[in-house]
Amino acid sequence: MDSRQDRIGKKATRSRRSRAIAGVLALLTLGACGSLRNPPPKDPDDLADYKAANDPYEPLNRKMYNVQMWAYHVALRPVAKAWVWAVPKPVRHSISNINETWREPAVFFSDVGAGKPRRAGDSFMRFTINMSAGVAGFFDVASLVGYKQHETDPGMTMGTWGVPSGPYLFIPFVGPSNFRDGAGYAIGQALTPINYVPRGYGLLTFNWAYNILGTVDGFANSVDQIDHLEQDSLDPYSYVRSAWQQNRQSQIDAMQNDHRATTPDWYN
Amino acid sequence: MLKALSRRALFGALAATLTFGAGVAHANPATDFVNSFGGQLVSIVNSSKPLAEKKREVLPLLQSNVDIQGIARYCLGRYWRTATPAQQQKYLQLFDQVLVNTITDQIGNYQGVSFRVTGSTPTPDGERVNALIDRPGQPEVNMQLIIGGNPSKVVDMYGEGASLRMNQRGDYSSYLSRHGGDVGALNTALEHQLNNHH
Repeated sequence: MDSRQDRIGKKATRSRRSRAIAGVLALLTLGACGSLRNPPPKDPDDLADYKAANDPYEPLNRKMYNVQMWAYHVALRPVAKAWVWAVPKPVRHSISNINETWREPAVFFSDVGAGKPRRAGDSFMRFTINMSAGVAGFFDVASLVGYKQHETDPGMTMGTWGVPSGPYLFIPFVGPSNFRDGAGYAIGQALTPINYVPRGYGLLTFNWAYNILGTVDGFANSVDQIDHLEQDSLDPYSYVRSAWQQNRQSQIDAMQNDHRATTPDWYN
Repeated sequence: MLKALSRRALFGALAATLTFGAGVAHANPATDFVNSFGGQLVSIVNSSKPLAEKKREVLPLLQSNVDIQGIARYCLGRYWRTATPAQQQKYLQLFDQVLVNTITDQIGNYQGVSFRVTGSTPTPDGERVNALIDRPGQPEVNMQLIIGGNPSKVVDMYGEGASLRMNQRGDYSSYLSRHGGDVGALNTALEHQLNNHH
């Protein structure tokens, strides 16, 4: 029994290690893509735009964006449309609840890292309540009793520490990011318990189902918005870049300005 | 990404933001303006008239309450200076239609909307009016309208921390920098966008 657990543990470690190596290789490859980097322009106005966009790897990022949108049009969009058509709303809602609940440990540790006890307490309570009363996360009971969902990830935590964002990156199937938040994403994955479940066949299947359904569900909620974005923008890539960078900064600012007390609202 | 994107359909959100009913915030000229403008808009949106008729009624309301020309100039940024007067004129006409079209597109999606103004704070660009928008069966949306100028008009809108006009400026300046800064090319692209609009 012990040796079996040992074997499973080693497998999980190997799997984590291989993912970490893949991530590091991806970043190194990115760094090595000198030809995919735009040099700073000479014209002062162009230089101001260049700095504001914070996107020296734009040629590479545009390629990655095109890959993502190609996949979106040929596969993800039709699948997402079919998903919405075939799966009743309560089921879709439960799947997004599971995804949110199982991410809570990463949210909790990110809140702790940012020194925000109230937010950390909220995510701790959300995980505890939803995993028990919410039947392993199927139902968002925590929201009903006052612990509303919020997002924090390690990239935001590093942002509150003053870690610079680094250049903008577009990572296929992850989306808009930057060097700091890309690293944060990897840390977030490491803080997500589902990634540590021993890799028995049944659990492996479940893990795939969890990830795929979560992704499809995420797309399904966004198809209309993406379609509008593509229809109403001359350059959707730069629209997404601008909106995402502003949104990200506002999330970090909001977290920094969150000075709520650790006692619940009803107590004050 | 898509979850993030879904939070950021800013053009669409403007329509939702504008569909305001009676607010409860501390009254000041900016919140009064939003309540009045939003009240008119919400009564059109929530009516049972056909969409085409709603659009016809909404157009003049938007044109008189949103600083479309100011937003248009901001969106063109430094390229405004390099455009010829004819290009500027053409661009303003097109932008007016693009913005109004985009907003009215969304209106059919937001019936049964209610809202409340939750407060306002002064900013360098104008008074920032915060509002929570409630759509049936959807999560509450937190938005901010920037009200400025004399007479008061909507000069910008923030959804999920992102400025609508700044996103639009990024879109246009990126297009222009990839087309040699030619505002004529931008106008052609906008015309194309309008013609393909459905």
